[in-house]
Amino acid sequence: MEIARIHFWEINTVWLFYVLAGLTVVIFLIGLFFHASIWLAGLKRDKFNFSTAGVINLLKDGLLGKRIFKGDLTAGLMHIFIMWGFIGLFVGTVLSTTDYWLIHFLSGDIYLIFSFCLEILGLMLIVGLFMALIRRYIAKVSRLNNTSQDLWILILLLASVLTGFLVEGIRLAVQRPEWGGYSFAGLIFSSLLSSKDQATTLYPFMWWLHALISLGLVAYFPFSKLFHSLAAPFNIYLAPQPAPVISTEDRLSEELEFPFRDMIDFSACTNCGRCNEVCPSTSAMEPFSPREFIAQANEYTKLKFNPLNRIKWFRERLIKAISEEPKISPEQIWYCTTCRACLEVCPVYIGAFEPIRRVRIAEIEEGSRVPSLLIQSLETLYKYNNPWESSKKKRGEWPGVLDVPDLTKGAQANLCYFVGCTTSIDTRAQDLARAFVKIMTHAGINFGTLGQKETCCGDIARRVGEDGLFEEQMEKTLDLFAKHGIIEVVTSSPHCFNAFGNDYPGYQDLKTPEERLTFRVRHYTQLLEELMDRGLIKPVKSLDLKVTYHDPCYLGRYNHIYEGPRRIIRSIPGLELVEMAHFGPDSLCCGGGGGRMWEELEDEQKLSEVRIREAADTGASVMVTACPYCLIMLEDALKTADLEDRLRVMDLNELLTEALGLGDDEE
Amino acid sequence: MDIIVCAKNVPDVAEADLNISDKGTDIDKEDLVFGINDWDNYAIEEAVLLKEKYGGTVTAITVGNEDDEEVLRRCLAMGADRAIRIEADDISRFDSFVISKILSRVVKDLQFDLIFTGVLAEDDYYGMVGMMMAEELNINHANMITALEIEDGKARTTSELEGGLGEVSLIELPALLTIQTGINEPRYVSILGIRKAAKKELKTIELPDLGISDEELSPRTIIEEAFLPPETEGAEILAGDPDKISSDLIEILKKKGVME
Ligand code: SF4
Ligand code: SF4
Repeated sequence: MEIARIHFWEINTVWLFYVLAGLTVVIFLIGLFFHASIWLAGLKRDKFNFSTAGVINLLKDGLLGKRIFKGDLTAGLMHIFIMWGFIGLFVGTVLSTTDYWLIHFLSGDIYLIFSFCLEILGLMLIVGLFMALIRRYIAKVSRLNNTSQDLWILILLLASVLTGFLVEGIRLAVQRPEWGGYSFAGLIFSSLLSSKDQATTLYPFMWWLHALISLGLVAYFPFSKLFHSLAAPFNIYLAPQPAPVISTEDRLSEELEFPFRDMIDFSACTNCGRCNEVCPSTSAMEPFSPREFIAQANEYTKLKFNPLNRIKWFRERLIKAISEEPKISPEQIWYCTTCRACLEVCPVYIGAFEPIRRVRIAEIEEGSRVPSLLIQSLETLYKYNNPWESSKKKRGEWPGVLDVPDLTKGAQANLCYFVGCTTSIDTRAQDLARAFVKIMTHAGINFGTLGQKETCCGDIARRVGEDGLFEEQMEKTLDLFAKHGIIEVVTSSPHCFNAFGNDYPGYQDLKTPEERLTFRVRHYTQLLEELMDRGLIKPVKSLDLKVTYHDPCYLGRYNHIYEGPRRIIRSIPGLELVEMAHFGPDSLCCGGGGGRMWEELEDEQKLSEVRIREAADTGASVMVTACPYCLIMLEDALKTADLEDRLRVMDLNELLTEALGLGDDEE
Repeated sequence: MDIIVCAKNVPDVAEADLNISDKGTDIDKEDLVFGINDWDNYAIEEAVLLKEKYGGTVTAITVGNEDDEEVLRRCLAMGADRAIRIEADDISRFDSFVISKILSRVVKDLQFDLIFTGVLAEDDYYGMVGMMMAEELNINHANMITALEIEDGKARTTSELEGGLGEVSLIELPALLTIQTGINEPRYVSILGIRKAAKKELKTIELPDLGISDEELSPRTIIEEAFLPPETEGAEILAGDPDKISSDLIEILKKKGVME
């Protein structure tokens, strides 16, 4: 007897197997066609340029599943076992088919190694599947919601490997080859069988069972959640590339449209629920969840862009289905604070806030379901160039007694301090601006502001999906910058900073090189860090305080600035910096972003109170932040949560002015 | 159901620091921000809602200069089918009587079942144009409408009365209704919406072409003088930052015995 792979042992109706296999492939391909045509219905702007970062991502997060390990070791191991078991056995099947049809190479030592590897892979898969079953049905991991599909797929996969081992075991029981030890797992199964005859009769039955289950799995694959494994590589690869801008002018219709990339996101979602765990809105029990949103969007796009809709009968059914029950319920989308926490934890890089913004765009166009306070704020922004209904004159009043050079009135300076609407107008946030000006003056920095003429960067409009208004504000701002020759900007707000640094460039790319205006933008924390490094500011006054630092979403997660502000805080003598339960990339949103500062929603929870309690729990007496929204939201929460006697909320500038001896009392 | 909505572009005065103009008969509007009169915003929304329900057309009309067209564009973006502007560079020289004459003259030649105006205009607070138009056109009218239903070609309206009372009437069409705020929730009008509405019909009519006599164009109300409320005794304006203002206020309240 040759040491080699044995094909179709004791199976006579091989033709039937081929017919079924052919059918399976056809169904599989139809499934792929469905997905591909839905994806291609998305707005196309993405270019699949080669990107090294993308490839690294694929290796790290695709093949090694690195993100799945984050915060959940068992999930990571489970996934590695299942994924590699599955891929390995699949490759094994492909090799064995090659061996049968093309070149016979599975013999001798190669065969033995092959055989041994398959045993290991099969066992890995079994272990992984049991881990999954335990997690879902015994340990009941709270973020997993169990659908019937979840159970079915696990059972089918398990049945497929187990019957595979049984088939092998039966054959070994009959043949009893000397090298059977290489198929050690199969051998265990073979020992279950008492007689050779029993084995021979059982064999065809088992073989067909294994074949049918496995073919069934392949046919079901593109229609099930398993399809995430084919979709995820695309968005894992695309993740490091910024999503291309689609300007209002380029938009085709008022209807809800998703870009190509979002369509892939929807298919890639693994329903793992990690996003729900970190979403500030979901955690505060508001009627919103990013996972449900993604699932709804998936349903919606599958229905709307189904290739079958070319046929009238299907199209009519679709229209009825969509009009009777909107697949994406429009009320939920306003809860998202666009804090980006979901993207930080999603193993396949889905940020729910991106497609949510697309729905907001459609809702803004529709107009009648927009929260009324938001309507007011947007209309104010349109009329007054700020969302606070403040006249130009008032916008210029924040400096009070301070002397602030005005670049629009002939002052000369390289650096333009862009104060921003909220910081200029809100009385609490104004303290931030005054403190920052004091520090800059103290450091001898030559700077100026745009005074009363300052515009709104447009961030709020963009976050709530009013892109037309955003573009208008952007153009006004760029015109103003161009007029006063501004090439270097520092902002109070991480939101302006992000708009300038991450939103504007995409639009600039749409312009001709002559029309483009490039300027450098920094957040004030970056400038302070530089001043500190250059020795221009030296915190000398010892502050005997225990402080904690709240990472603003648009500084941290959006722009990866975590360490700078902490370095500045730590440079203050006498002071102790402690961290909250959530910090750095895991920081918890104050609830002010994404337009939520200007909405009033049903069942709205005070997200900021959750956060302020975390700060109080550290025992710190000061909570430091670096964003005017955070400052306002958290200070409000301080009052409503009744923590005023235990905690103070301060902007980093305010803390620093105290340490520099520039505080009010020293004046 | 064909509906005509009369809308006005008004300055936003709620948050502004007001000054008397040089002529002394009006406020200085130079630095003020303009927008659709709030009541008219509800009126146009109501018209569009009815159109969405029963079909028909919505026509928006204003008297004013080119800048005032913004109000019409907004109405078009909200769902009006066409708009008419009667050219008048400075409407402050007209009073409610003249405006109602002009509007009635234009409306007379149009097909309509309903005419909506806002109850009031935010700038002068007269609240007369609607009623005067109804008289001029000799059609039914009802004021301060807070709810509206169409039943067999009649309008079932709820008017707001004093003390939270409501009055329900069944009115034969054609009719003129002055719309109260709160009757609906006006939709948001996006920039894209306004840009798209630029394609819709916006007609301009020159005032002389309407053939209205000079007599009818002369205002019946003359403003002789506009002035800021004089500082009288007993009124004190607190100044300073909010902290100071609030502590001063508390001081005063304590002194007067309102607070312990
Ligand atoms: S961006 Fe933040 S608020 Fe929005 S869905 Fe993601 S986690 Fe939730
Ligand atoms: S969006 Fe990402 S984190 Fe959320 S359920 Fe889907 S795969 Fe998991």
